[in-house]
Amino acid sequence: MISQKINYLNNYIRIAFLNIKSNIAGNIFALSIMSFSFFIMLFFMLSYVNIYNYMLSFEKNNTMIIFLKNSENSPSLSNRVHPYRITAAGIINKIKKFRGVKKIKYYSNKLSYQFMLKHTPNIRTILAKIKPAYFPRIIKIYFKPDYISKIYLSNIYLRLKSMKNIKFVYYSKLMEDKINQFVFFTKMIGFIVLLFLFISSVFVSYSAIKLIILRKQNDIEILKLIGATNNYIKIPMYIESAMGSVLAFILSLVLLSAVFNIFIYYKFNNFLSFFKINIIFLNNFDILIVFFIALLSGFLGTYFSSRKFF
Amino acid sequence: MHVYKSYDKNYILRDLSFNIYKGEFVFITGPSGAGKTTTMKMVIAMEKPTHGQINVFNEDISAIHPKQIPFLRRKIGFVFQDFKLLTNRTVFQNVALGLEISGVSGSIIAKNVTEILKAVELYQKKDEYPLSLSGGEQQRVAIARALVQNPSVLIADEPTGNLDFETASIIIDILKSFNNKGTTMIIATHDKTLIELGRARVIDITKN
Repeated sequence: MISQKINYLNNYIRIAFLNIKSNIAGNIFALSIMSFSFFIMLFFMLSYVNIYNYMLSFEKNNTMIIFLKNSENSPSLSNRVHPYRITAAGIINKIKKFRGVKKIKYYSNKLSYQFMLKHTPNIRTILAKIKPAYFPRIIKIYFKPDYISKIYLSNIYLRLKSMKNIKFVYYSKLMEDKINQFVFFTKMIGFIVLLFLFISSVFVSYSAIKLIILRKQNDIEILKLIGATNNYIKIPMYIESAMGSVLAFILSLVLLSAVFNIFIYYKFNNFLSFFKINIIFLNNFDILIVFFIALLSGFLGTYFSSRKFF
Repeated sequence: MHVYKSYDKNYILRDLSFNIYKGEFVFITGPSGAGKTTTMKMVIAMEKPTHGQINVFNEDISAIHPKQIPFLRRKIGFVFQDFKLLTNRTVFQNVALGLEISGVSGSIIAKNVTEILKAVELYQKKDEYPLSLSGGEQQRVAIARALVQNPSVLIADEPTGNLDFETASIIIDILKSFNNKGTTMIIATHDKTLIELGRARVIDITKN
């Protein structure tokens, strides 16, 4: 019984290869379209994963950044105490009175400049051409872990915004909300694109198998007359579409990996590091999801194309 | 028994009844359009009778479940007038088809196909494709394919219809030799010369 099943499996695989061989041009065409579809699917998934990852980095970050106003005219350096330090000290004193504040750090124009020089070495030549006075003065507030509720932070945010000499206030939860909206948008667009690509992959698989059925209708009739069951005819078609889907999936993954390594890693990563964005590749689970989508599209294509005939 | 077959209310067969026993060599005859092919098709469940009952191997196949049809066909060899060979497969592969469908192992397929091809004197052409063979050779391939599974019954519909007398007598000799080994042979033909060659029981369906 087991040996008979192995014989059947051998036959099914052999017939599947014969089918592929008999329609090589059609199969290459189907493979290219499916590979392209899966590549777009993987690309969308990669984008989503990275945006989501970026959002998570804000969730862990419990800080608030205040950009102070610079005067129209640069202050005279002959003064003993820099007037910027006076305004910053006043704001810091007010902040210290807020509940939940753990630490406050002040960055003058010069310190901001030095910070940038240190953390973005790739644009050092560009930074060298800019005067430190043009860099923003920043106060960074670190909150205690218990004080990270959205309501509490938005309250602090509103109080700071109403103060004099403050230009902008950013905090991680605000950024998180903004990115969350973007994640939702990406998710919706991604879902629509994924659905469209999935349907097109099913259609491509459907057409490739239907073409084989139409071309081999006479052969199928003969096989049935000498005792072939419907499964004997259909299973090689399922194997064929599964092989096509898996191959298209592997091709698309290799292509995405190449694009990721060439463009993102070597070219854009320097640029993205400026924004502290850490680009990551898809994990095994994400890849597995697209793999199953690929397999499913092949199976559904075969199911719909063979349903009419058997 | 008492089989009727009609297409759009036109009856091709009316009250057809006959018995064929194990090991017999039988000709089913009648003029063109008498319903010989339809009768043969009903025996392998390609067609269903409008009325009546057809018993094959003590089983009523007029009420057979569609899923059981392939298994019935594996027990009955069928030879078509137009051979019905797969043109993209070699002689060997065509003959091996029936065994592959039954899930027989590669080594047994090789042994059985070689034996049957030697029996029909086509072993030397095992790697050729059907279209490169003559009509008689193609018919012998079809017979080999039908017999390779060692069926209890072989049905041939006008097996010599497109062949000359000499080739037809070779085909009949092959069928006779397998009949002598125990295979029941049912041959549908309108060719009287073939019936004379066969010297066997004749069922004229126009008289039934």
